[in-house]
Amino acid sequence: MTTTLAATKLPPSTHPFAEIVHRLEAGGSMLPDTPENLMQIIGLYKAYAVPMDFYWRDLLYIAEQVFVDPLPFFKFIIPEEYLKLANHYAGESADLRIWRGIDTAHPELLEFMEKGELKRKLPRILHHLWHDRINMEFAEECMRAMLWHRDMGGLLDPYMDSEEYKQNADRAIRAYVQGNPLLQGLYKLFPDMFMELCRQATMYSVLGLFWEVMAPVFFEMSDLYDEGKLTTVPEAMNFLVNGIFAVAGRPIYHRVRIRGEWYDIVPKSKGFTWLYEAAFPYVEAVFYRTSPFRGTKSYNAQANQVPTNQLDFHYGILYADKFPVASAGIPPTLLHQDMYHFLPQYLVDYYRQHCRGEEDMLIQLGVSFQRSMYNVTSAVIQAGRAAFLYPLDDPNPRHLMMNRRYFEGQLNRFARPEYGIREAARLTYIQDQNYR
Amino acid sequence: MPDIVDIAVSVEGFSTLVTAVKAANLVDTLKSPGPFTVFAPTDAAFAKLPPGTITTLVQNIPQLTRILCYHVIPGRLKKADLAKFQSVGSVEGSPIDLTIDKETFEVNNATVLQADIEAENGIIHVIDTVILMRPHWFWPIMNSTLPTSAGA
Repeated sequence: MTTTLAATKLPPSTHPFAEIVHRLEAGGSMLPDTPENLMQIIGLYKAYAVPMDFYWRDLLYIAEQVFVDPLPFFKFIIPEEYLKLANHYAGESADLRIWRGIDTAHPELLEFMEKGELKRKLPRILHHLWHDRINMEFAEECMRAMLWHRDMGGLLDPYMDSEEYKQNADRAIRAYVQGNPLLQGLYKLFPDMFMELCRQATMYSVLGLFWEVMAPVFFEMSDLYDEGKLTTVPEAMNFLVNGIFAVAGRPIYHRVRIRGEWYDIVPKSKGFTWLYEAAFPYVEAVFYRTSPFRGTKSYNAQANQVPTNQLDFHYGILYADKFPVASAGIPPTLLHQDMYHFLPQYLVDYYRQHCRGEEDMLIQLGVSFQRSMYNVTSAVIQAGRAAFLYPLDDPNPRHLMMNRRYFEGQLNRFARPEYGIREAARLTYIQDQNYR
Repeated sequence: MPDIVDIAVSVEGFSTLVTAVKAANLVDTLKSPGPFTVFAPTDAAFAKLPPGTITTLVQNIPQLTRILCYHVIPGRLKKADLAKFQSVGSVEGSPIDLTIDKETFEVNNATVLQADIEAENGIIHVIDTVILMRPHWFWPIMNSTLPTSAGA
């Protein structure tokens, strides 16, 4: 119905990605609607949700308790209370009970944390040192991308430079260093460094609160697929769009617990929200921009191969070359390793059919992950269209034209010739099922 | 003359807005001398939001207040006054885009159903959609172009 409306009211798009523009206008995703794509993206959501259940808990632990520790050796050794911490959007006492699932850490996560890849119960520190663990390095890379890029919309970014923020931070840092002459001296000598560590802790909190929502969403999607209730790629996308709206107003804040007392760094009363202060900046920083990873490619800044403007950075998942994954120095390898442990059986079987060698499964799941994140990005684009523009079946052609301008503008990010952006973007690749 | 809140309470079709304004403790503000210009979404406008959206906002008053404040601009501005501008600053802080000519009166993606309702302390324009802040990247995306040689 919507297809007919948009198609008959507007002339065909002349955009290089016209086919995808028309698909978005018909309520579709950038990812083509095929059963194979659906299986890959849902399987990956499941494989991502389990480590994500660890990521958000540990991110909040670091934000709230490790805080500005200059030598945080044990930040990845998460205390029991954070594994039991009730997810605000899962479990019986959830603020909003629209996704099933329990509020404490997922059983598969707990089992992995206990036995790891070795399948042997050893002290956690040994699993950790053997790298047989959930790898927080990727989560931290995402946090750093959000901290470093900044100015991606929302009010939190300017707030972190405000006098009010600095006073809140100073109060908490003073409480944190109290009774420790060495830290007190360091804070006196390098106050800006501690302030920056505090901003980083704030970003740990923002990403933790963001993923706290995404973990139950992805678990729910996997359950619905297993029950035969999610049957197309657009259905999967729309499930995400509804989820985005449902929690859009969730508060984004940062508080620190020092000797049993809570200190507000970014109080809930500032009115910061999940959608504006976490979700949009996250997608921008992590899916589009990030930073050039060591090991993927050599860049020559003097030859203008690296953009001078951070706005033009294009090293996120939507542009990533997945083939060097698993070679040395590629940070997302650790994420792929995390997801590898929790793949549903149907994906393991599927990858085996197409396997090119021992390490190939990491690459194949990386490509599936890329497909799944193009679908999440499509959901964010459609949510933005619904929030700022018009329904897809709007009867007014001027409104439909505004929707088209928006879709085309979004797709320009994958079609620009500068800095090889067009060549790097994987939008064309994911249209083909043989890209694996 | 009745004030903004009196009008919203007495007219049918604004019960969600009135509930939200009460929950956000904005009644006293909107009863104060102001003056304010309020873009008032109808119940049908709120009903268009996906399930859960309102529940989450009502649970979190500062966040609800922020969204409501985006529907208010300082001053007493009728359609004819607003027609001089392409956008106006909301009480929330983000701009509201205006599309106004003889037949059209739109604010962001909302259409004004009834304009220029006079209250003691301001003006009410009734809108058919809850408006949400457009981030600063919205217009750069809308206005982005490719060099003519660019192909996929």
